[in-house]
Amino acid sequence: MTRFWMALALLLALAAPAFAQAQPPPVPSPSRVAPGGAAAARQRPAGRGGAPAEAAQGDARGGSDEKDAGGAKAADEAAPKGFSNSRMAALFFWVFAGLTIAGALFVITRRNLIAAVMGMVATFFALAGLYAMLYAHFLAAIQVLVYAGAIMVLFVFVVMILNRPEDEPWALQGLLGKGLAGVAILYLLVRLSGVLWAIKDQPHAEMAGPSPPPVAVVVKGGAAEHPGKAPPREDAFGSTRAVGKVLFNQYLFPFEAVSLVLLVAVVGGIAVARPHRDEDHEKKIVVVS
Amino acid sequence: MNDIFYKLTVSHFLILAAVLFAIGTVGVLMRRNALIVMMSIELMMNAANLTILAFARYHGGTAGLEGHSLAFIVIAVAAAEAAVGLAIVVAVFRTRRHADIDRLNLLKN
Repeated sequence: MTRFWMALALLLALAAPAFAQAQPPPVPSPSRVAPGGAAAARQRPAGRGGAPAEAAQGDARGGSDEKDAGGAKAADEAAPKGFSNSRMAALFFWVFAGLTIAGALFVITRRNLIAAVMGMVATFFALAGLYAMLYAHFLAAIQVLVYAGAIMVLFVFVVMILNRPEDEPWALQGLLGKGLAGVAILYLLVRLSGVLWAIKDQPHAEMAGPSPPPVAVVVKGGAAEHPGKAPPREDAFGSTRAVGKVLFNQYLFPFEAVSLVLLVAVVGGIAVARPHRDEDHEKKIVVVS
Repeated sequence: MNDIFYKLTVSHFLILAAVLFAIGTVGVLMRRNALIVMMSIELMMNAANLTILAFARYHGGTAGLEGHSLAFIVIAVAAAEAAVGLAIVVAVFRTRRHADIDRLNLLKN
């Protein structure tokens, strides 16, 4: 039974962005170029889909100053409280918060290590959603990639190495498991083909201008659907470019130091986990347990 | 009363981060499996990151982006910590056939 609830939670975490984007905005056409549209966009139900539009709105209102974080300042003007006031955003906050807490409780209460790791994955996905709600889109992507992708794989590998034969294998067996897997794969294929279908051809002349359009791939319903009318500014708060500018200008040394930390961690991990043979050491370390 | 549910403020995110950090602390203190302890440490780091990002959103502007840089570095350091910590857990398990931190008392008095 717990497996069912965990699978449900995971599915919810994965499908939540889709639902957030599927919400039709009550404002019929949030005009991206009009300066007065910022107030309208502020009331747009913003899950994960609404937040970047809001940031871009504030950006358009703030005019075109070329400072590093001009867009971020403008976005801050547009939403002085810093948080969206719509009910949809609140609903998603509570969903993600519940998932986070539930996953964390799962981690510290389960005896089964794999179950704990799965609760951890749910927590990380929900936290990525929360980061996106906080306008930290770049960090949300990094969270999914690094935590849910890399670190969790590391944990799963170690669990697999350490564990004796598991008392409870994780996979759902029988027809139910196959049906769930089929539905999940079908969903993935539908989303993927939808994205691929929505990609338009872009002429090269548009890319060769002095200021190239920031996104070459135009996804229907995405933020860059009308590139001709209003090319989206990339300096929006929390975007990759804005974070990258700060990271590579002011924080270049910490960034490089982090690369050194990662190198040391790789070497140290290999050195520690390497099986020590007896000919490496004259006397074997006797461990009294 | 409904404002608590419908109007998001920075306090929502901060309280959530505090709860998450508390859960991580309880996991570190109560559990004996070294892997669960490490996962709880990751939870605490994520709670810290959530706090950083909430304040970054609250302040906005360049200061907020500096917070994003800090969160990025925290994530990288957490990855390094996980790699080294898991290597240590694997090494300990190889020599002692368990990863129970209550029984790892070789350095005790």
